[in-house]
Amino acid sequence: MRLRSLVAAAVLAAALPGTAMGGDPARGAALAAERCAACHGADGRSAMPDIPSLAGQQPGFTTLQMILMREGIRRVPAMQPFVEGMPDQDIEDLAAWFASLPPGPPQDRRPRDAALLAAGEALIGPRNCAVCHLPSLAGREQMPRIAGQREEFLARTMAEYRDGRRIGADPQMNGAVAGLSDAEIAALAHYLAQRD
Amino acid sequence: MSMRRFLLGVATALIAGPALAQQPAQAPVPGWAVGRPEGSTLAPHAPRLTVTPLSEVPVAAIRLPQGFQAEVFAHGIPGARTMAEGPNGTIFVGTRVIGRVYAVTRNPDGTTRVRTVAQGLTQPNGLVMIGNSLYVLAVNRVLRYDNIEANLDSVPAPVELTAAFGLPTEQEHGGNHHWKFATLGPDGRIYTNVGVKCNICEFDRDQFALLVSFNPDGSGRRIEARGVRNSVGMAHHPVTRELWATNHGRDWAGNDTPNDTLIRVRRSGEDHGFPFCVGDWRDPQYNAGRNCSEFAQPAALLGPHTAALGMRFYTGTMFPEQYRNQIFLARRGSWNRERLSGYDVLVAHLDAQGNVTRLEEFMTGLRDDANQKFLDRPVDVHVMRDGSLLVSGEQMGAIYRITYRR
Repeated sequence: MRLRSLVAAAVLAAALPGTAMGGDPARGAALAAERCAACHGADGRSAMPDIPSLAGQQPGFTTLQMILMREGIRRVPAMQPFVEGMPDQDIEDLAAWFASLPPGPPQDRRPRDAALLAAGEALIGPRNCAVCHLPSLAGREQMPRIAGQREEFLARTMAEYRDGRRIGADPQMNGAVAGLSDAEIAALAHYLAQRD
Repeated sequence: MSMRRFLLGVATALIAGPALAQQPAQAPVPGWAVGRPEGSTLAPHAPRLTVTPLSEVPVAAIRLPQGFQAEVFAHGIPGARTMAEGPNGTIFVGTRVIGRVYAVTRNPDGTTRVRTVAQGLTQPNGLVMIGNSLYVLAVNRVLRYDNIEANLDSVPAPVELTAAFGLPTEQEHGGNHHWKFATLGPDGRIYTNVGVKCNICEFDRDQFALLVSFNPDGSGRRIEARGVRNSVGMAHHPVTRELWATNHGRDWAGNDTPNDTLIRVRRSGEDHGFPFCVGDWRDPQYNAGRNCSEFAQPAALLGPHTAALGMRFYTGTMFPEQYRNQIFLARRGSWNRERLSGYDVLVAHLDAQGNVTRLEEFMTGLRDDANQKFLDRPVDVHVMRDGSLLVSGEQMGAIYRITYRR
């Protein structure tokens, strides 16, 4: 497992021009077992409603978001005790660990709803999701993997972006979901959650 | 605040996308991707916001002319960009995404100490020192930290000057070119940029794509230059007092067009041509039948997509005489180009009339052409009182110091 994780991290590092990814996934695994697994799942797939899965997440995204939370720029009360004063090295190690885990849906993923799925899929193009998250919806660098994420978490996040309660490193997501109805957000969340 | 941001965001989206009325609703393409050709995977490079260990700071890769040396002045400064020096020699460092302002001081043994003096701000990239006060321009917010050098360990709350300056918000910028560069003019005014609110579009040319100046209290806004797409570096000539600035060209008009430019503002308020022209280059979509000769011409072309940023006139005495009053400028490096360009520091050599006679590649080695990678991204330059030159490296969170020995 350890060797596989290291190889995965090396491949990711090579893809990032000029970015030395210093994360040590083995060290990250130990940190995650202690601090993250209770909510985000031992295998990085959250079994807890409203808590995101982190398995297979882009390490650049995980790192950036933890830093934004630590700096008080992105405010997530539940995360605050964990990120408060967290050293950069811990953040990079955790990001490398979660990136090394195979992504996949939560065990409690609900069955497909064909109508909702179709309605969600129809919004992917007009909302330009693939411009940043790529056609695979696996993300790249600081843009997250959204395929296979927990459905209710996706829906809440998009509503927060829409309603101006969440701002990213820039306001691109606020623009991407502006004007979506709750029903459209539900459809998009269902489609993304069903994508593997 | 959040409600206001929401409403502004919705308003921006509605203005940007008339197709919203149709079904299914159309969202605006992210600003950087507007006009990207089908199939292109070019996108801005991700920032690195964690500490880079000293052993990974690529100072050994830096190449300089004969007699110059580079050393690491300070490191462990994620996102280090703009630099401003206090009267006691503190180097204040602005950032973008990480939202911090750092203070770098020298220890008695010559090493440096880095402190975070402000955090949680939105893109605090504009720094100006006036007397003992540090002005921080964070998009539209303007904060004044009085007597800051005496209080680096517990910085008092700043004076908020945001309303007096009345700069456009991130939302009014549509999320494009909203971060600031700022400098103090010889007339005691604060000079800054108001970038365009898109890659390229039709816009109010009295509100965006400007260089502007203010009294330090935010009063007396004056347009210094129009048609400047986005400048993230400017300085006044130490002798002529003219304002000079770097300016970014638009994206998605080809690998080799248009150029980023160095501009010289001979008359306050003159027009530099965006979106119609860059020098004699007519924009393929937005020229609108304009004759490019009606606009101020660039003082120098700085290469396509090179992201020319911080610039200063060299006013020290350490470097050879040929560098006196010449322009050092940092090129952060391209993303909107299939092969990397920039990632270096140039010198623009001027003649006695202020014409650019030559561009010299001064600091190189951070762009790896063979592997199409970069080792760091130079953002700003600063002339120290001893005549050495600081260069900030944003990607590695380091500041390099360049010295000269005969």
